[in-house]
Amino acid sequence: MALLEIDGLSVRFGGVAAVADVSLAIAAGEIHGIIGPNGAGKTSVINAITGMTVPQSGSIRFADREIAGVAPHIISSFGLGRTFQHVELFGDRSVFDNILTGFYRHQSYGLLAGALRLPKALKSERTTREQARMLIEAFDLAAFADSPAGLLPFGIQKRVDIARALAAEPRLLLLDEPVSGMSEAEAEAAVATMRKLAREHGITLVVIEHNMRVLMNLAERVTVLYQGRLLASGAPAEMQANAAVIEAYLGDAA
Amino acid sequence: MTWRIILQLALSGLSIGSIYALVGLALVLPFKASGIVNFAQGEIVTFGAYLALILSGLGLPYLAVVPLVLVGAAAFGMLTERILIRPIVNQPEFTLVIVTFAIGFIIKAVIRLHWQDNTFSIDAPFVGPPLVLGALRLNPAYLVFIVSTLVVVATLFIFFGYSKFGKAMRATALDPIAAKLMGIRVGSVFSAAWALSTMLGASVGLLLAPVIGINPEIGHLILKGLVAAVIGGFSSLGGAVVGGLLLGLLETYAGAFFGATFKNLVPFGVLILLLLLRPQGLIGVSSARRV
Amino acid sequence: MRVRLMLIFLGLALLAALPLVVTSYYLYLAELAMVNVIIAVGLNLLSGNCGQISLCNASFMGIGAYCTALCTIRLGLPTLIALPAGVFISALLGAALGYPARRLSGLYLALITLGFLELVGIVIEELPDYTGGIRGLKVPRPDIFGFSLQSNGLLYLFVFVLTVGAIVIGYNVQRSRFGRAFDAVRQSPFAAQALGIPVARVKMIAFSLNAAFAGFAGGLLASVVGFIDPPEFGILTSIQHITFIVVGGLGSIPGSIAGAVLLTALPEVLRGVQEYGEVVYGIILLGTLLFLPRGLIGLVARLQTLRSAKPSAKEPAYGAP
Repeated sequence: MALLEIDGLSVRFGGVAAVADVSLAIAAGEIHGIIGPNGAGKTSVINAITGMTVPQSGSIRFADREIAGVAPHIISSFGLGRTFQHVELFGDRSVFDNILTGFYRHQSYGLLAGALRLPKALKSERTTREQARMLIEAFDLAAFADSPAGLLPFGIQKRVDIARALAAEPRLLLLDEPVSGMSEAEAEAAVATMRKLAREHGITLVVIEHNMRVLMNLAERVTVLYQGRLLASGAPAEMQANAAVIEAYLGDAA
Repeated sequence: MTWRIILQLALSGLSIGSIYALVGLALVLPFKASGIVNFAQGEIVTFGAYLALILSGLGLPYLAVVPLVLVGAAAFGMLTERILIRPIVNQPEFTLVIVTFAIGFIIKAVIRLHWQDNTFSIDAPFVGPPLVLGALRLNPAYLVFIVSTLVVVATLFIFFGYSKFGKAMRATALDPIAAKLMGIRVGSVFSAAWALSTMLGASVGLLLAPVIGINPEIGHLILKGLVAAVIGGFSSLGGAVVGGLLLGLLETYAGAFFGATFKNLVPFGVLILLLLLRPQGLIGVSSARRV
Repeated sequence: MRVRLMLIFLGLALLAALPLVVTSYYLYLAELAMVNVIIAVGLNLLSGNCGQISLCNASFMGIGAYCTALCTIRLGLPTLIALPAGVFISALLGAALGYPARRLSGLYLALITLGFLELVGIVIEELPDYTGGIRGLKVPRPDIFGFSLQSNGLLYLFVFVLTVGAIVIGYNVQRSRFGRAFDAVRQSPFAAQALGIPVARVKMIAFSLNAAFAGFAGGLLASVVGFIDPPEFGILTSIQHITFIVVGGLGSIPGSIAGAVLLTALPEVLRGVQEYGEVVYGIILLGTLLFLPRGLIGLVARLQTLRSAKPSAKEPAYGAP
């Protein structure tokens, strides 16, 4: 049974169809790539999955639960996480605080408990801070833990973004252009991290990219979007050899 | 309920609505051009009235005072934009809102410093006994309000629709970067938008001064202008005008049928209702993103 | 860390001993400053941390003031019940405003808070039988367990203890997951959503919390001044409150305290040039916004950076560990 199942998804803005009748299924534990040139509708699909836009029609099922049109934070609470193309860190707080914030939905103490520093709150904070420290170690961010997130180099920020998304313990993580703006070396390291996440932590990954080369090394299956429609779907090697896919990319930097 | 009373109230409502429309226009203009709402607009109206007071005090007749005040206000607007607003355009919205509030605060404080809370008045040619048109009695000042607003709206329409600078302003409002690339001096457009809006605000002061008197509290009018602008979705000049007129009519009828308290509640009731139910105004388009 | 804590205790002890050294006039001034500190701490949580603009803070202060006053005068309730009642009603109305406001931001949020401000003002004025209308209300001194705080020294201590309590609570909230949620909502609502933070509900909580602080301060103000009337709770006051946190430094509690204290003392310092008070206030606000966008705390941080050779990794107090 697919962990994420999209059926006949359509998203329109005014008269323009950003996404038209897209269907795809992602199995649990899979590393799935969604690729397409700019304007293909990748971001719209992501926004629809995460609840930031309401699709006009179609169904999106996550772990057998219909999530199309559901509020974003509720979708997140079902175990769906995401990272952002332009990072979206909490810039003037430290890296540590950013990652700590990721644990929000796993903490349960109320405002009163927090305001009065009741034992329940203190315990939760202690545990969570410890978990945050471990996550920082795991992502090699100890050197930057106290630095304001907004001042760090872009590559490091992207790492923080992923670490923070993981703090929420997602079952499926949507990564929006995770290596854009990175150097070769950084991109390779990021890819290795992602592979490790999937293998060791069993997190299903959906990687949105416009760079086929990245997905070649990472994804098990790739879905190609073009002008809001599903063009082809299959193993990366197949997609690279697919005539329609090649034509769609003609003139686009690979 | 005779037709005469209804018509009389309508005239009343339209005339005060014209004032609201002008203030609304003054608010929407810089918002469309630079995305900033000038919360000092109320004090600009007050500024216009007191400037008229000063010039009047020098012995100048009303008709000479008018162009001087307009020019003075335009200059003030351009200066303000250049010195105070331009440097902070990229700051968060919070800062922008408070800055314009602070400017208004200072203007009002300076005025009160010199004139305290006293009320003054000046003479104007349109203050006089009511005109009698058939069964209706019309305060000539009201007529001037309506006509002035019509003139302003028509001028703006021609300006934005047909003049080169007007089109440049529209382009800048849509996409400042593209406008820049096309050779439009975006900075000048911003300054002009502000100058235009302060002129509009001051003109309201000019119109009101002979009729309701000059005192520091005139600026309270901004709330009505804000409601007018919101009715128009804060993005449409025509909408602000319609909004102002509608508000004027609503207020007048509410006051006549339900009393003064209700009348005072109308603008805020309308504002809150609109913001809750239809923030895009009666005319605007709603956005697709939700948070 | 130990040293800092000891210094704070020392400072508090000194402040508590103030009634022994200064005249009742300065005690009164200190009480006003403390009330403003409570206001600033609460507003800072809403606007500084959560980034929500509110032009109606004075209204919540007024609601708290009138509730407390009426509970005392009309219902004869003791202060230790009247004050919490004021806080409660304020918080409730804060949530009531926060609910529709949750989907608004920037301009529209400012407008709806402005509308709320005017509405509350009209309600207060139009119900003179309850609120005393524009003539205002006289409020008796606080009544603790039947003992009326007529002594100025005792009133001061009462306000002092409550202010310290409010600051501690504000600090605790800021360090809790809610404080983090507030900051998240301000800086990136999208990322916050993706992490499961219910943005709309968090905004509502921020509004309610701010209203509680303001209502608390209002109730205290009523007891300290002994008299309340509608003009005290208008737009000018709201702007003054915003000045406290802007000058102090948005998001920082020490900044809010500093801003509130300085700007309460300022009119006194300008005693000689009384009428200029408002103009100076406005210029300070404008100047701070233009030249010191991060307020006094930001200035302090920048000076610290200049002293050390390398670029500072420490930013103004946003809950640094």
